[in-house]
Amino acid sequence: MAPKAPAASVAPAHVAAETKTMLQLPVLVSSPVDVGRLIREIESVDETLLQLGLRQSGTEVKMPKTTQLMDKIVEQNKLNLLQAEDRKKLHEFLESVKTSAPVLHVSFSADPNTAFIEKLMAWLRREIHPLLLMTVGLQPTIGAGAIVRSTNKYFDMSLKQDFAKKLNLLHESISKMAAAPADQVQPAPAPAPEAAA
Amino acid sequence: MTIWWLILILAAIGASGIAFIWLIVRVGAGVGKPQAKGADSFEEAAEQDVEHIFNEDFREELRNRGRLHFEKILGENAMFLQQDLRLTTSQLNEYMKNEITKKLKEEFQKYEESIMDAKQLAIESIEKTNAAIDEQRTLLSQELQQQVAQEKAAMLKRFEDNMADIVNHYVLAAVGNQIDLNDQLEYILADMEANKQAIIEDIQNGA
Repeated sequence: MAPKAPAASVAPAHVAAETKTMLQLPVLVSSPVDVGRLIREIESVDETLLQLGLRQSGTEVKMPKTTQLMDKIVEQNKLNLLQAEDRKKLHEFLESVKTSAPVLHVSFSADPNTAFIEKLMAWLRREIHPLLLMTVGLQPTIGAGAIVRSTNKYFDMSLKQDFAKKLNLLHESISKMAAAPADQVQPAPAPAPEAAA
Repeated sequence: MTIWWLILILAAIGASGIAFIWLIVRVGAGVGKPQAKGADSFEEAAEQDVEHIFNEDFREELRNRGRLHFEKILGENAMFLQQDLRLTTSQLNEYMKNEITKKLKEEFQKYEESIMDAKQLAIESIEKTNAAIDEQRTLLSQELQQQVAQEKAAMLKRFEDNMADIVNHYVLAAVGNQIDLNDQLEYILADMEANKQAIIEDIQNGA
């Protein structure tokens, strides 16, 4: 059963103190690319508002269109992008995330969809680190599961590795079959006609 | 004078010798004539008697008898000679037979011994060859069994070494694409839960 994917509301104890006063990242912001995109976006908004302040009244200035990620982070942290203080706070927060947030590289057997990423990021932010970022890789050879690579470690959680760990079971089964008399070994069932077709 | 005397004596002696010889000759010739005449008469008489007794018939009879006797003796001797010859021939045959048989037996014995020796040599050679073949067969069998065992072990080892890859490849190829990532989420989160502490420690201790 997949865990629920709430926002990063519960931080682990080891990072609770340091993130108590910090903003929160929505689960949609999952990778350093997203953080970079948000930084560029907040800089664009800041510049637009700066230009709006410098221009004379009556001049039409078109506000940049914010993305769903920006809307989500602003909404989750209850910020107002029209306030320079909030923009600055968000920009500093994103810069700090970009420079210091832990990054996990996770490889899957297939390209994950957004819902899957959200669920996984929710669990990682809740259990590992509230500012954790993730880069997604693709390794079709692992069959199922995932391969996680942190800063210094490599965690193979794939089905391929699981098979390799349980190789002794396969050896024992084959040895038992080889030791059994030939008349006790049941032949493999014939394939179904539709399968053969 | 002496010489004269000597000559006279010698002449006297010579004359007396001549006279003695003459006397002897004369005496000898006078005695022989009447005896020869008597002997001739006896001989003639004997010849006449012999002629009278051994006349032609008697001589012919004697010749016949002698001839018959001679023939008889010849026949007997011929018979004896024939018997001796037959006996000698039979003995010679027997001797030759015995000798030939003996020689043949000896030759056959030698031939048999030679054949036995050759047979023994052949048997020994065959036995040695058989022993060598058995030894080679044993060595070959052992080597073959050893090679088969090594090959079997190598194949088993290669199979066991590659079995995981084969099974993994087969299962992953057969099942991997059929499992949706959403279905894998629980499995992935369980594994991450198991490795959570290690990940946290690595993040804390990381660069």
